[in-house]
Amino acid sequence: MAPPILSLVLPSETGRVLSIQSHTVHGYVGNKSAVFPLEILGFDVDPIHSVQFSNHTGYPSFKGQVLNGQQLWDLIEGLETNDLLYYTHLLTGYIGSVSFLDTVLEVVNKLRFINPKLTYVCDPVMGDEGKLYVPPELVAVYREKVVPVASMLTPNQFEAENLTGLRIVTEKDGLEACNILHAAGPSKVVITSINIDDNLLLIGSHEKEKGQDPERFKIVIPKIPAYFTGTGDLMTALLLGWSNKYPDNLDRAAELAVSSLQAVLQRTVNDYKRSGYDPQTSSLEIRLIQSQDDIRNPEVIYKAEKY
Amino acid sequence: MAPPILSLVLPSETGRILSIQSHTVQGYVGNKSAVFPLQILGFDVDPINSVQFSNHTGYPSFKGQVLNGQQLWDLIEGLEANDLLYYTHLLTGYIGSVSFLNAVLEVVNKLRSINPKLTYVCDPVMGDEGKLYVPPELVAVYREKVVPAASMLTPNQFEAEQLTEFRIVTERDGREACNILHAAGPSKVVITSINIDGNLLLIGSHQKEKGQSAEQFKIVIPKIPAYFTGTGDLMTALLLGWSNKHPDNLDRAAELAVSSLQALLQSTVNDYRRAGYDPQSSSLEIRLIQSQDDIRNPQVRYKAEQYQ
Repeated sequence: MAPPILSLVLPSETGRVLSIQSHTVHGYVGNKSAVFPLEILGFDVDPIHSVQFSNHTGYPSFKGQVLNGQQLWDLIEGLETNDLLYYTHLLTGYIGSVSFLDTVLEVVNKLRFINPKLTYVCDPVMGDEGKLYVPPELVAVYREKVVPVASMLTPNQFEAENLTGLRIVTEKDGLEACNILHAAGPSKVVITSINIDDNLLLIGSHEKEKGQDPERFKIVIPKIPAYFTGTGDLMTALLLGWSNKYPDNLDRAAELAVSSLQAVLQRTVNDYKRSGYDPQTSSLEIRLIQSQDDIRNPEVIYKAEKY
Repeated sequence: MAPPILSLVLPSETGRILSIQSHTVQGYVGNKSAVFPLQILGFDVDPINSVQFSNHTGYPSFKGQVLNGQQLWDLIEGLEANDLLYYTHLLTGYIGSVSFLNAVLEVVNKLRSINPKLTYVCDPVMGDEGKLYVPPELVAVYREKVVPAASMLTPNQFEAEQLTEFRIVTERDGREACNILHAAGPSKVVITSINIDGNLLLIGSHQKEKGQSAEQFKIVIPKIPAYFTGTGDLMTALLLGWSNKHPDNLDRAAELAVSSLQALLQSTVNDYRRAGYDPQSSSLEIRLIQSQDDIRNPQVRYKAEQYQ
């Protein structure tokens, strides 16, 4: 007889997260970037690895294996047979094919059937800085099928534009994009980075009741002269973690998430410099393990300004 | 150009571990049990998941995928092509086939050719309480090929007996088994649980110089009336972590590892009871996440007694 799932029997400020993302043996992207911070924040995380690669795809080469939709479903069925499909949260990030994304949609339905209050945190990873890096067919699937079922969405500026059909040039555009996304589905939207007049902003929006005006805020983010990998995956995980602890204060949750992330990035740049390496030479693997105290107990340095 | 591996460039008390173990979506065994504690202790861990199963194989059923030797080697080649094969430690646990175990032996050689000082921490998982739960052909491969390559070995009583072909009935037998294993390879041996006269003991042995007498100690472990899964994997990970911080004091490392593990097991039993569940009804998934403070900063409750 399988033991009861304690994270449900003993309620806590945390929860049980099914996280379907990539696994790289080396480095911190996908589940390597998302799972450890959530565990530090006290969540039981069940990772399904959509791929297992030696390293992320930004390196000159990589090798490994990819999960197909059927293999993903096998794992879901294995969990179901043992009554292990009760999750408080589902988390998804980069998905590489329409067929896998369609299977993820079936996972959403299955999990919501078992827990109607499931929170689906979706990072609609499609591209950045004007460039798509997934097959173009995925965009419509995200827009038409995934956004409507997400509880919280964490697009970047490019992704928010693709999902809404709206060009984001001013803060007002960013807020309008959030409204369009609320109407389509998620009650919480965080556009994680927007370039406006050479400043970097995060814009967050929480529609507490359908049809009501959402509570909105922005956080000004420092521009660090370096490229990192895994930061989007880390940001979404931190937003899941902190918004679960502060369900009615998305601004508070975002302050904590941004402050943690910035601490990780600053430490990463400093450590590379200390080792004699110019941080601008290549994209950097983040110093996740070395920053765990900043993840557990972030010092809030970046404050939200409410609109 | 790939950036340098900082965990190597910047000196620290930790290191960079390649951990080749199972992955279960739900529950805490294999890499799910070993990786998080080592990350908490400050190590960069690179996990290769030898399988991806929905849950561990003690449940009524499980589903998932298994890696074969070639796929394991593909990952190693991927890392090698990017100069990412410099590890301070290799960690292995349950291995299900001779072919995979042979591939792991090739990984040991490959890693050692890049870092001759690699520490290979090997949990020679074969069985427990008198019963084998791997294919019997693995036993000889462990004994003849793996043990000689290991830096630290963490067998249980049954596995120590299989590897030494020696029955362990007294503490003296346990110490003798350690000596046999030292002669075969590893300078550090921890027999993680031995039943002697109704007591549960851990016996540790560190042969600091080849041919010298080993420093040996025991720790008396409480018997908790419950079955858990993942504790062996957790124990080996904790021994790796703490013996790296205390390289010349295996007894100190073992005290910290045992104390962490016991605190976690006690929390697990208490939490199940609080939930209204009888801890003896079935084997229990450990409360790993909820016990992270005991892993980071264990209170040493179980002391080592050195043998003279």
